[in-house]
Amino acid sequence: MIRIEQLTTRQGSFTLGPIDLDLGESSYLTILGPSGAGKTLFLEACMGLLTAHSGRVWINGTDVTHIPPEQRHISYLPQDLALFPHLGVKENILFGARHRKVDKELAESRLGELLDLLDLHGIVNRHDVTSLSGGEKQRVALARALLPGPRLLFLDEPFSALDATIRRQLQVSLREINRQLGVTILHVTHDQEEAFMLGERIAVMIAGRLRQIGDRDNIYYQPESLDVANFLRNQNIYDTTVAAIAADGSLQMENSITGAPSYPGAQVGDHVAVGIRSEEIVIIRSNKPIGPELQQNLFDGTVKDILAFGGTHTLIVEVLSTGTCVDVELPNCAMRDLGYNIGDELQICLRRHSLWTIKKEVNDVAV
Amino acid sequence: MLRRDTIFKGAMLLPLVVLCGYFLLLVGSQSAFFSMTDFLEQIGQKDIRSAIALSLIAATASTVIAVIIAIPAAYALARIDFPGKRLVDTFIDLPMVLTPIALGTLILMSWNTSIGRLLSDIGITLPFTFAGIILAQFTVVVAISVRMLKATFEQVDPRQEQVARLLGCSAFESFLHVTLPLARRGILAAIILTWARAIGEFGATVMVAGTARGQTATLPSSIYLAMSMADLPRAVTLVVILIGISLLVLFGVRMVPESRG
Repeated sequence: MIRIEQLTTRQGSFTLGPIDLDLGESSYLTILGPSGAGKTLFLEACMGLLTAHSGRVWINGTDVTHIPPEQRHISYLPQDLALFPHLGVKENILFGARHRKVDKELAESRLGELLDLLDLHGIVNRHDVTSLSGGEKQRVALARALLPGPRLLFLDEPFSALDATIRRQLQVSLREINRQLGVTILHVTHDQEEAFMLGERIAVMIAGRLRQIGDRDNIYYQPESLDVANFLRNQNIYDTTVAAIAADGSLQMENSITGAPSYPGAQVGDHVAVGIRSEEIVIIRSNKPIGPELQQNLFDGTVKDILAFGGTHTLIVEVLSTGTCVDVELPNCAMRDLGYNIGDELQICLRRHSLWTIKKEVNDVAV
Repeated sequence: MLRRDTIFKGAMLLPLVVLCGYFLLLVGSQSAFFSMTDFLEQIGQKDIRSAIALSLIAATASTVIAVIIAIPAAYALARIDFPGKRLVDTFIDLPMVLTPIALGTLILMSWNTSIGRLLSDIGITLPFTFAGIILAQFTVVVAISVRMLKATFEQVDPRQEQVARLLGCSAFESFLHVTLPLARRGILAAIILTWARAIGEFGATVMVAGTARGQTATLPSSIYLAMSMADLPRAVTLVVILIGISLLVLFGVRMVPESRG
């Protein structure tokens, strides 16, 4: 569908790329990155709104690198929506059909479908788009982007200004659009929850480069670089050194962690960061039998602090043997059952299958 | 706190009141010299009617030409990056800072160059003609037009133009169907104020076109002529007409409907 090869562009002192990306028919890719990572710049370069400094953009096998935006047949929903305030709701939605010379009957039929899909019947005859609510504007802008029947839809943080309820409704609508209409979607966001919920694949962009592309589990549980791990809020990252390589290839660390996954070219003495997500840490209860996978990486510790969030609690556990602090996340119901207080002693297990290892480069910094 | 607010507002409003009072004094002082009989008699004179018509036509023509050139020029300054843009942006303001008399002199002097002579040879004569009035007014007002329109185009969100491009518009179609409608209010205001400046233009017009009664004398130059000959009824009549036109224009600007943008 869309293939990007070694794409680079510049804006002021910021350089984007080189970026390689391949997106198949009807797929949904979210590009996740912090503000200022170059996500919007990347979309603009793909859409032809910004001149590519080098590299190529292919759409359906055609090199579109040097053709104008209107001939690329990409629909775009920007962060600020950019509805046309001089046009009414219906005129906004039909704008693309008019300029893409979509047959009038076809346009009317698509309009009907989109009004159903996005629940726009109540506002379609409104003349002043500036008087619409945030959610209504969003749905009108989405309908406008979809009416010309694009095969590619680019979304640039489209839900960032909406409250949680409306955002969730529109996210569900987007999944339906992707499935029902078969539109290939490239969606950039800084919202991790949104990226993981919507994207079949997720690409993490940091400082103008795609640092990792993969499915949800790959990105969430196996970060390939420390900046990706830090950005994805991995709380438990520990600098250590490879002490030994086991027969099964797993790594034993100097800080007593064993069974950590290996990486190409792993050697004893390598400086590494080993990490685990806080919700993957298991609290061992003495009165319950434990399976073989929980008999490794057992550490005794003391609850130093308890942080309460909306639906979860985080226990800050100080490991007795090393003095290292480990964040352990528990759902509220589990926290109620266990009833931990500051100062309580407990045993935690860093499940080996949930560990990740990154070989440290000179400039890497763990948090 | 409330008392301090009141004092602050009062301090801000006082200069405004003084200014309005001063303007009312200027306009009102005309009534001491104004008589309806003189006014009707003066307005019936052929050369005054000619001056009114000449001013209206020349101001309209120079405004049309200025705006036609200023729209693309202002858009280029607002949207397109090109080498030397800052220099051009500054240079274009020259007619705004130069006194109109000097501008008129520049136009006259340029007519004495080889290009001017060439144009004269093929029958295009500007000094002391109707075309000269239009050129003089155009030279004075075009920079104002560019400046106002540039500010207008800068207020149009470029994202809307980009979305239009991605919905199938070429760059020109996007300009036509999105930028111009969104800039409509600013363009109308620019047209009206450019026209107002053109109709009141005196210095450059007198230098280039002279003040021949019934031929090249516009309303402002006719006022000058009347005053220089101490013809007070005539001067007051012309001033009243000019005030009437100016007030119409100013209220016209306020009446331009608010853009939904």
